[in-house]
Amino acid sequence: MAVPVFTLQLNCKILPGRVTIGKYDGSHSCLTAATTADKVLIHSPHRRLGPASQITGATTWSQVNKEISLLSVNRNVSALAAGRLHPELEQDILIVGTQSSVLAYNVESNKDLFYKEVADGANVIVVGNLSGYENPLALVGGNCSIQGFDYKGNDPYWTVSGDNVRSLALLDYDLDGENELIVGSDDFDLRVFKEDVMVGETSETEVATILAPLRGSKMAYALANGTVGVYNKLHRVWRVKSKNRAVSVLSYDIDGDGVEELVTGWSNGKVDARNSRTGEVVFKDNFNCSIAGLADGDYRLEGRSQLICCSVDGEVRGYDSSRLGTLIEGNVHQDAVRDLLQKKQALLMELRNYESNTRSSGNAVGQANMNAGMIPAKTSLQTTVSINMGNKSKGPHVELCLTTNNETIIRAVLVFAEGIFAGETHVVHPHDDELSSSLRVALFPPRDVPLDIHIKALVGLPRTEQFHVFELTRHLPRFAMYTLMSATAPLSQDQPHNFVSFFISERVQRVILWINQNFLLSSELEQEASGGSLSVSFTALRDGSLLNISMHPAGRVVISTPNMTLAGDLVQSLASFLNLSNLQVIAEFPDELAHLGEWLEKVSNLQEVRIQLGADLAHRAGLVRNLIVRAEDARLLPDLKSMRDWHSQLKEVNDDLINSYNIRCSNHNELLDILKQINLTIQKAARLRVGQSKADVVNLSRSALQSNNLHSLMKIVRTGEA
Amino acid sequence: MDPIFLALSLYKKRCFEECVSTCTELLDKNPFDQAVWVLKMKALTEQLYVDDLEAEEEGIAEAFMDNETIAESARPGTSLKNPGTSQGGSTQGYRPWTQTGRPVSGVIRPGTQTARPGTMEQALRTPRTSKTARPSTSQSARTIRLGTASMLSEPGGPFIQLSRINLGNYAAKPALAKPLFLYILYHENNIRHALQLAVLATQACEFKDWWWKVQLGKCYYSLGLMREAEQQFRSALRQHQCIETFLRLGRVYIRLDQPLSALDVCRTGLEYFPKEVTLLTEIARIFEGLNNMTMSVKYYREIVTEDSTNVEAIACIGMHHFYTDQPEMALRFYRRLLQMGLYNAELFNNLGLCCFYAQQYDMTLSCFQHALSLAKDDDVADIWYNIGLIAIGVGDTRLAGQCLRLAISSDSGHAPAYNNLGVLELRKGRMNEARAFFQAAASLAPYLFEPYFNHSALSHKIGDLQASYIVIQKALEAYPNHIPSQELLHTLEKHFTII
Repeated sequence: MAVPVFTLQLNCKILPGRVTIGKYDGSHSCLTAATTADKVLIHSPHRRLGPASQITGATTWSQVNKEISLLSVNRNVSALAAGRLHPELEQDILIVGTQSSVLAYNVESNKDLFYKEVADGANVIVVGNLSGYENPLALVGGNCSIQGFDYKGNDPYWTVSGDNVRSLALLDYDLDGENELIVGSDDFDLRVFKEDVMVGETSETEVATILAPLRGSKMAYALANGTVGVYNKLHRVWRVKSKNRAVSVLSYDIDGDGVEELVTGWSNGKVDARNSRTGEVVFKDNFNCSIAGLADGDYRLEGRSQLICCSVDGEVRGYDSSRLGTLIEGNVHQDAVRDLLQKKQALLMELRNYESNTRSSGNAVGQANMNAGMIPAKTSLQTTVSINMGNKSKGPHVELCLTTNNETIIRAVLVFAEGIFAGETHVVHPHDDELSSSLRVALFPPRDVPLDIHIKALVGLPRTEQFHVFELTRHLPRFAMYTLMSATAPLSQDQPHNFVSFFISERVQRVILWINQNFLLSSELEQEASGGSLSVSFTALRDGSLLNISMHPAGRVVISTPNMTLAGDLVQSLASFLNLSNLQVIAEFPDELAHLGEWLEKVSNLQEVRIQLGADLAHRAGLVRNLIVRAEDARLLPDLKSMRDWHSQLKEVNDDLINSYNIRCSNHNELLDILKQINLTIQKAARLRVGQSKADVVNLSRSALQSNNLHSLMKIVRTGEA
Repeated sequence: MDPIFLALSLYKKRCFEECVSTCTELLDKNPFDQAVWVLKMKALTEQLYVDDLEAEEEGIAEAFMDNETIAESARPGTSLKNPGTSQGGSTQGYRPWTQTGRPVSGVIRPGTQTARPGTMEQALRTPRTSKTARPSTSQSARTIRLGTASMLSEPGGPFIQLSRINLGNYAAKPALAKPLFLYILYHENNIRHALQLAVLATQACEFKDWWWKVQLGKCYYSLGLMREAEQQFRSALRQHQCIETFLRLGRVYIRLDQPLSALDVCRTGLEYFPKEVTLLTEIARIFEGLNNMTMSVKYYREIVTEDSTNVEAIACIGMHHFYTDQPEMALRFYRRLLQMGLYNAELFNNLGLCCFYAQQYDMTLSCFQHALSLAKDDDVADIWYNIGLIAIGVGDTRLAGQCLRLAISSDSGHAPAYNNLGVLELRKGRMNEARAFFQAAASLAPYLFEPYFNHSALSHKIGDLQASYIVIQKALEAYPNHIPSQELLHTLEKHFTII
């Protein structure tokens, strides 16, 4: 527990995750938070009145209000950020994102920088410099898209991501002195963008809800399932998991040692700071309710920043290293002693076990085998990973088969793998009468990612109470859920409709090598004849669709599959295997393209209706206002009869208003869905290409979308060129 | 003569009624003559056209159920809502405030009445006096009251049945669509239909016509959709710079209570149209709204160098001089107005006051006589009040009392008159009457600090310290920097600490 250096009460309910701090006048930090009443609260402690008016006790409470100013947004604030957006102003600009708009606002002079409608919504906003752009950008992550606005309201940056964007961070990822953009999205992926080009990608087990830059290329992250950890580039340094959810993550040097700690605010009101290298807790405190956000800023005008924690009911506490230093000193020694004691305890336990074992083995060898769970020394556990086409009760799946080489049985198996099971771990423990020396575990990898499966098997003799634990790790290739079709199986005669084709200047063997590495094959694929072509077919276990990969000796590769995402995954995997820096493909997905046309038409229809509905709503709202004034007027004149009339009219208009609002709401949701689909298709089309061609697809598609040019968009998806 | 030519000529001569009847005859003969149809539409529109920029006024409903303003308590000097807080501006100490709670301006415009009193109740009560009739919403505002076509029934049914018309047909024909739009907007005052037409028309010309964007913005603005209006105006300005668009965009920001943004817009406009009087006027008005009189007058002076007969500018500069203790200068400006042919009670009233403070006593009374002879019911009270002021100045308390009572008799809500009467009673030593007058004044005009201060001083004098303490705080609320009030409060606090 730490003692805060200051506490104060904002008297407002605050939305979690929507807390930031900004220097709106260029020098004084102001805590800024979104309240539940669709307002943005700005707390400016320096705005207190002069000392003359602070004399009487009665006036102090009203000063709390003086420090707080509210901004009406009138829509649910979905993201909040503050930063130097204007390159010429020495002031922070507040950026407020809602589900349909982004507002950049100069708090100091009560001026808008810009107000933009964003159809994709604003789930998260960060402000900062991005490599390749001269002016600072406000990067807005919405549904499947990321837009970057400069201070004039232009959006020079635009790209699509695989799913709804949940978190963004600006970080000098490759240590070249310029920031790259890291994006966490709903498909559990973390992607790194340098300018428009994706330079890195990794998969997590859950949605990354928060990303925060640490020193250098390190980055902290938090997942929706309560995991918090640190990445260095795309290698995980450490992580911890909690049953609570992290609301806010911040890097702040709480113990004053010159290295930033990772401070986390949790949904149960806990705040802790962890060493960014080891994950060791150095500081913690508890609030009465969930944390709404963390910020660091100089709140006491003492020349260095404090850690400011804000809870959802408006309680604010500030911490800094001054109060913590002595506390930690004492703790370090105690911790060391405790650690050593624990180790001693563990060693003693182990020793005792060994002693009892040797004692029993001295008595009677045979019986001891039974009781103490001694197993034959040569016992080994064999694992095989194969594809099971399944039966009626169980669909086709990847099967993990464990067998021992003697009469010992497998009591239970713990399988640990990220992202396959809910909760990461899967335990299989058969009934007593079903115990045998082999055990099968069915795996259903939901996505095509390479996996490491950690297995712990409890092996022992039948009817023993003690078991040996075998630990082993197996690697599951990326495309495990595809089974090779036997050569005799009838290939689909006609040319498939959906395929991508491209040229690579590589030998066929290399591609075969790639297939061997990335698919789960019972026997390695071999080239039939040197100089011959390659053609292999797979069946997807998930939906039974066909996948055919063929390559001519000349270098033309055709991947045919109805699944555009799969094609993209294959292209990306192949490209990274072959170290291709740029790849342009011809993609034929007539079904997807037909959808695209449909969607674009729908969008224009919906938007037309939207304008009408908007005007309708505004008209009714005007009527409501008018009626309220009239009713109020009647009330002041004590004319109760007409007051009742006005109110009954008001009720009717109000009901209409609610109806039309509901209509507009469903219209809006439909529009959102379709826009998301369009963005997804563009993203899929981009994933079919590599390198510059990939970025080109995104940019060209954008301009085609803006001019509503369907033909050009289709051509871009098909050929990658406008 | 060819009847179409006749109709056109009548239209050019602005004989709209004759033009309409000629067109009606023509249309009876050939109902499908589009040229005549358009001409009739234009004539009808022109008949009722209102300068909706000048006549624009924020309704009560907007002011209180307003949900577009971002900052609820903006920094001083950045918001039109709290003019009293601006630094360096004129204070109530030497420039009185009007009934709506802002400093008096040189001219009365719809906008100058747009203050934001604390509650809706207060706002609803204020317009009960004859002077400040505020519309309940801006949609129902002057546009309807001035252009009353939509309320009159026309003989033989309306010219165009909006509900039957196929807007899509007309949207594609620019020559028809534009007059039709203006007709719907100004004559029928049906914003929803107008908007529908504008949306269709702007799509038909592939978003390339800035005129439609401005019209769309106008529709959104009057529907209260400020952000949409802002987008349309901005987009129109990118295509074509036009004074009207700048002004309208500025108005959007004023409605959003972002006066500095509005000033930026107007200044950008001035880059395209240097020394444009309408833009300069807008800037001067915004500064006046911000209570930054020095800047406001600077811009008004610029206007006068461009347009030496601009009544608003001259009156505002005169007013500024008057309240900065230069009545001789003010006199020159008001005389200029008189030379220009303005001949009304307000002007003579102001002239009288200027003469008095410039010590030209001989002219003072004759000016007020003129003023009284010209005065209508609304101004009489003010003129009597001013005469009372002069009577106090020359020391004739009897005359002063009579004048003030006359002022109250013609306007029972004249708070300053009550206050002055109270002071007169106080001088006579009638404490209870004086207190009653002060209380009456304070309840009528809570924005005035004088009644509170007088009341407090009175209570202090007779030893009712508690009442004095309560009332002086109200005075300081109305005018926080009033030094005598602060001193009084200080003494009271000292008393209390001693106790």
